[in-house]
Amino acid sequence: MSFQGNSVLDRFLVSLAEIVRDRDGAKLQDFLQIEPPLPDVYGQMVDELRQQYPNGSPKEVDLQRRCEGLVPKTAGSSSWTAFPTFMKLYFCFLRDVNVENLLETYNMLKVLLNQCVIALGDSQFGIVVLPTVLYLSKVLAKLAMGLDRRPELVAHLLRLETGPDQEESTEKVTLVEKSANVVREAFIKCLTDRSGTPGVHGKPEGKRVGIYLMANLCLKLLFQCGKLRNAEQMFASITAQSPPLKHFPASQRVTYLYYLGRYLFSNNLFFPAQIALQAAYDQCHREAINQKRLILTYLISCNIVLGRFPSMHLLQRPESQGLADKFVPLCQLIVRGDYIAFREHLTVESPTTEWFARKGILLPLRNRCEILVWRSLARKVFIHGGFHGDTQGQAQRGPPPFLYLTKLEAAVRWLQSQHPSSSPLSVASPFSLNSKVSANKSQYGSQIVSIIADPDFAFLDTKGVNKAAPDASVLAKFADYLCPDGFFDATGQWQSNPTRSLIDGTPDTDYSQYELNPYAEDPEDAIDEPSPLMREMESILASLLTQGLMRGYLTHRNPRFAIPGARLRGALPTGFPNVWQTIYARESEDMGVPGWVKPPPTMAAPVALGGGGRVVNLSGARPVGAQ
Amino acid sequence: MSNTQSEDKKAEASQQPQQQKPTVLEEDDEFEDFPVDDWPENETEQASGSTNGNNVHLWEESWDDDDAAEDFSKQLKEELKKVEASH
Repeated sequence: MSFQGNSVLDRFLVSLAEIVRDRDGAKLQDFLQIEPPLPDVYGQMVDELRQQYPNGSPKEVDLQRRCEGLVPKTAGSSSWTAFPTFMKLYFCFLRDVNVENLLETYNMLKVLLNQCVIALGDSQFGIVVLPTVLYLSKVLAKLAMGLDRRPELVAHLLRLETGPDQEESTEKVTLVEKSANVVREAFIKCLTDRSGTPGVHGKPEGKRVGIYLMANLCLKLLFQCGKLRNAEQMFASITAQSPPLKHFPASQRVTYLYYLGRYLFSNNLFFPAQIALQAAYDQCHREAINQKRLILTYLISCNIVLGRFPSMHLLQRPESQGLADKFVPLCQLIVRGDYIAFREHLTVESPTTEWFARKGILLPLRNRCEILVWRSLARKVFIHGGFHGDTQGQAQRGPPPFLYLTKLEAAVRWLQSQHPSSSPLSVASPFSLNSKVSANKSQYGSQIVSIIADPDFAFLDTKGVNKAAPDASVLAKFADYLCPDGFFDATGQWQSNPTRSLIDGTPDTDYSQYELNPYAEDPEDAIDEPSPLMREMESILASLLTQGLMRGYLTHRNPRFAIPGARLRGALPTGFPNVWQTIYARESEDMGVPGWVKPPPTMAAPVALGGGGRVVNLSGARPVGAQ
Repeated sequence: MSNTQSEDKKAEASQQPQQQKPTVLEEDDEFEDFPVDDWPENETEQASGSTNGNNVHLWEESWDDDDAAEDFSKQLKEELKKVEASH
């Protein structure tokens, strides 16, 4: 930069006045450097500032007055008062900042950015500081995220800052979240610019050019501090007020669609998330490998949940490096149908889990994909143990293909026997005495759903606690004896027992040996007493049927899964339809992605005049030959 | 709070010395700024994908495993036969 005049500061101010007059936002940002290492000329200016306008001296008022001269005076309209205040803060920042103290630097920079955002709010001149707002926001974000990664650097300072007078009830807001809040203010100023055409019919003009620049920075910070919920209002505002995304530069589009996709993903909206992330991937610059890899991480996760696996072709691309190792074993486990192996793969202790957890995809994958594993298992059991119907096609009225669920039950018990050590079930069933076979013998709680033991309650599983409370089965059988509604005490007085507590304390006798068994065989083996495991499997299959991932019906008595109407297409495709196609058919009725503004649909020219508007409802029509 | 997190991680690490050291948030978790602001459609991923092989196939929709010779299926089949025999 070239300055004419006496001191550097004088020349700097003259140039600034010209820049403001020319409304050259980019040049203004170029002038207002703050990040070290600064050019020497800034050092000279800092020296002059310290000499002429020392911190706290009455001369600071003069500095403010000089800054006021930067703004053109217009008669009648209010002048841009926020800008001189911002400029004075800028000079004070340069004069006082001590970059050794990162927290202090952060706070000063936040105040500076805040004032710059206020200056951005001016309807006439605000746009001049837009590039500066973006620049300061980026520096603030970098600083906050750097401090966030190294909390030990600011721990002692934060402790000093939050003194004893601070209320404990107030929620602690991290530096990153504070930064996000400032950046969001700038975003709102850009979004609500009233010049030109606003909304979906508008173009990125005026301050609206900054909508996605500010939104993307704010989203980055919100993802970093884990306050995704705060992004909801941003997406709603964008949907309501932003011009279509396609009018913005590719870098902003791709970055925005990436964050939008991740937001939708973390809200379990996998289908729209998949659309947003696929678009981010498609529109990404082909050489931006790192960005593409991050997009793919979430795009692949989405697709797996929706029943679509990455192809080898995709996994061999340079941006997929390392992803195959993570996702291929997962897909193989889904295909195999061994639900215990699947759980073991994604359990907390598993070494593979670390990466999934860090990316924030562990829980969605674990919770959403298990149902696909069950589908695979049911399918394989049907293939090898089901009745496939009369394949000759002769018997028109033969029974439909079906599977006895006892076979699925046997398969599950076999799987459990294959994984004796893992048995999350031994943890899940608190009354089990023998952890090895607990899964099969447990009469309580879940037979197959793993419940991760909360360490606070870990000791409830131990036998010691077991003794303190009598077994529920003992109580069920002998409650009239152990907990009667009253009893005679030692003095012969009748004492009523309205709470039905144990009158002799915890029983220490094994009552089972005194019990007479009137049945010739063990009642547990009776056919009309389905095991708890059977009950759970019926629930799982019912869930698969409700989701359309299996088709047919269940019979409860003599439990079966039957596949009617399979004569034409065969039992397997009918009973176990393609997962992705099923989900796609259901979800694609609404291809809209909340938060992604598209141009309003243009009126299509009527194709055929005669057919226009006439809709024939075929939902009640039957296929030819149907009876 | 981020402080306690790091302490927790330290505690974990000391309990399980054989495990890898706790990973702090890596740089690659962050979505980097693009070096350029805008690019034409012919420089996008989509364009490069559709030129090399017409609409390359990125996703496997049909992954159901019908291979009866595969190990897991074979074992399952044996197991189901045993159940059948016992009834």
